[in-house]
Amino acid sequence: MNRTKRRQSMATRAGVVFVAAFMLLCVMPLVYMVLMSLTQSDSPYFKLSDISLDFANYKTILVRNNYTQAILNSAIVAVLACLWTCFISALAGYGFEKKPIPHKELIYKILLATMMIPSQVTLIPLFLIMREINWLNTYAALVIPMAGAFGVMMMRSFMKSVPDVLIEAAQIDGCSEFFIFFKVVLPLVRPATISLTIFTFVATWNSFIWPLVVTNERSRYTLPVALSLLATNFEKNHGLVMAGSTITFLVPFILYCFLQKQFVAGIALGGVKE
Amino acid sequence: MRNGEKTRALPVKRPLMTRKRRQALHGIAYIMPACIIITMFCIVTIFMAIYYSFTEYNMINPPEFVALKNYTKLLSDKAFRSALVNTVKYVVITVPAQVCISLGLAAFLSEKLQNRFGGFARSVMFIPYIVSGIAASAVWDIVFMRNGLINAALGQVGVKGPNWLGDGNLAFLCVCIVAIWKNIGYFLVIYYAGVQGVPRDQHEAATCDGATPLQRFWYITVPSVKPITYMVVTLSIIQSFQIFDVVYQLTYGGPGTSTMTLAYIIYQAAFKDWKMGYACALAVVLLVFVLIVNLIQDLFFKEKTPKKGAGK
Repeated sequence: MNRTKRRQSMATRAGVVFVAAFMLLCVMPLVYMVLMSLTQSDSPYFKLSDISLDFANYKTILVRNNYTQAILNSAIVAVLACLWTCFISALAGYGFEKKPIPHKELIYKILLATMMIPSQVTLIPLFLIMREINWLNTYAALVIPMAGAFGVMMMRSFMKSVPDVLIEAAQIDGCSEFFIFFKVVLPLVRPATISLTIFTFVATWNSFIWPLVVTNERSRYTLPVALSLLATNFEKNHGLVMAGSTITFLVPFILYCFLQKQFVAGIALGGVKE
Repeated sequence: MRNGEKTRALPVKRPLMTRKRRQALHGIAYIMPACIIITMFCIVTIFMAIYYSFTEYNMINPPEFVALKNYTKLLSDKAFRSALVNTVKYVVITVPAQVCISLGLAAFLSEKLQNRFGGFARSVMFIPYIVSGIAASAVWDIVFMRNGLINAALGQVGVKGPNWLGDGNLAFLCVCIVAIWKNIGYFLVIYYAGVQGVPRDQHEAATCDGATPLQRFWYITVPSVKPITYMVVTLSIIQSFQIFDVVYQLTYGGPGTSTMTLAYIIYQAAFKDWKMGYACALAVVLLVFVLIVNLIQDLFFKEKTPKKGAGK
């Protein structure tokens, strides 16, 4: 008995060491990235004395490489995509959960099935459509396709928690559809809206292949595209590239630090649904 | 007085049908925007991709119908063959790795580290997921470089490190490592929520019967989180089939064709060579592959849980 206990506690300790090592593996590259961005090193390493807090690389990037514009583009696109996705998904989630639409389960299943489709399959036709309607290099082209079935699924599962009685009571009181949706339902699913917003924000902020394809003017590049270009053009200037990477990483990271719970709630939901 | 009111209220007919129909109409209005967007951008585009896959289209001349020429060309395309093999290899390596590591970590954290440290560990492990694929590749590029960090560490212990990104197999491994590094946290969060849902008394009963932690993991946790495993495997497969950012930035598909994936050659064919028809044929192949894998996976999961495996 005693021996098995001791063996178990040994195993636990080994597990803790493994967890700690894994945590280190997760953050080390990122810590290295931030430190490296403060140096002028052209080799993959730097000495601690190389680090200076004058942010020279950041200044260079922001002034010279159109990065400010890219940051602005990314921010605009991400914010618009959040508003757009939340709005559409909340509408659809409410409709699917609370309204007696004929064949709704079938329609819902078809919508969900689209989540299986790899984005590269729709990439080319989508590009051709955008070209046809002259939307290349526009914010609209970057924002509108970001809405998808995932948001609808998420919103619908949160709409389950809105009591039917409440909606019926509002209807009996003579509230308009419009009023019920915006003043009764939306406030009740606010946590879901926040989760979906964060999720969409990070997904849009980091999305690469679509902005790469649909923009070809420097003034419309989003951060990942600008970073990719920077990394290719200044391959040897590691400090500069790492500064670019740090800027790209910083916004989602700050968001994560402040809204960690909502981040995790949204993702955990994906697995626990039903 | 009261009675009078009641009798007057009664004859009011209840327009049940019209009310229901009105509700349905409202409902349709609610779901319409999402349905239009998803139909336009996901469903119509598939049929467009299938249509273009039978044409030759370089965006200057109008599409020209060539029947199955793109598909026959595929068969003799060396880059396509190696991309196909690589994609399958990539899925076979990363999906089980991600599922096993994240499930193991979730089970361990939930059983032994239900404390501050465990919570902190989960928060930290999630961070790589929010890093943009391009930034992650830029960092790992420095780690894997010929004179990079790993080789420096190996040099310290007197081993001459290989040229990680210069050798086909090693470069492939590098892409896998970066992708796994990025995704573990995401699946960990999903699994952790699931493992928390496993009733504790089952574990306690098994412990009383003398089950070791490993037995408890294998006979209680793993079967209980099966629906979640289904979900995680599905998500992981979809993600793995789409790997693009890391390949694009870290290896450019090279050296040679050793890290090219289907997603990468679709991009290349369409937006470097401007062969839209051929690229669409590649995309159709990718779609068929995803569907087949999903079908196999469905069969596999349903066979063992006859009741209701997927939970959908």
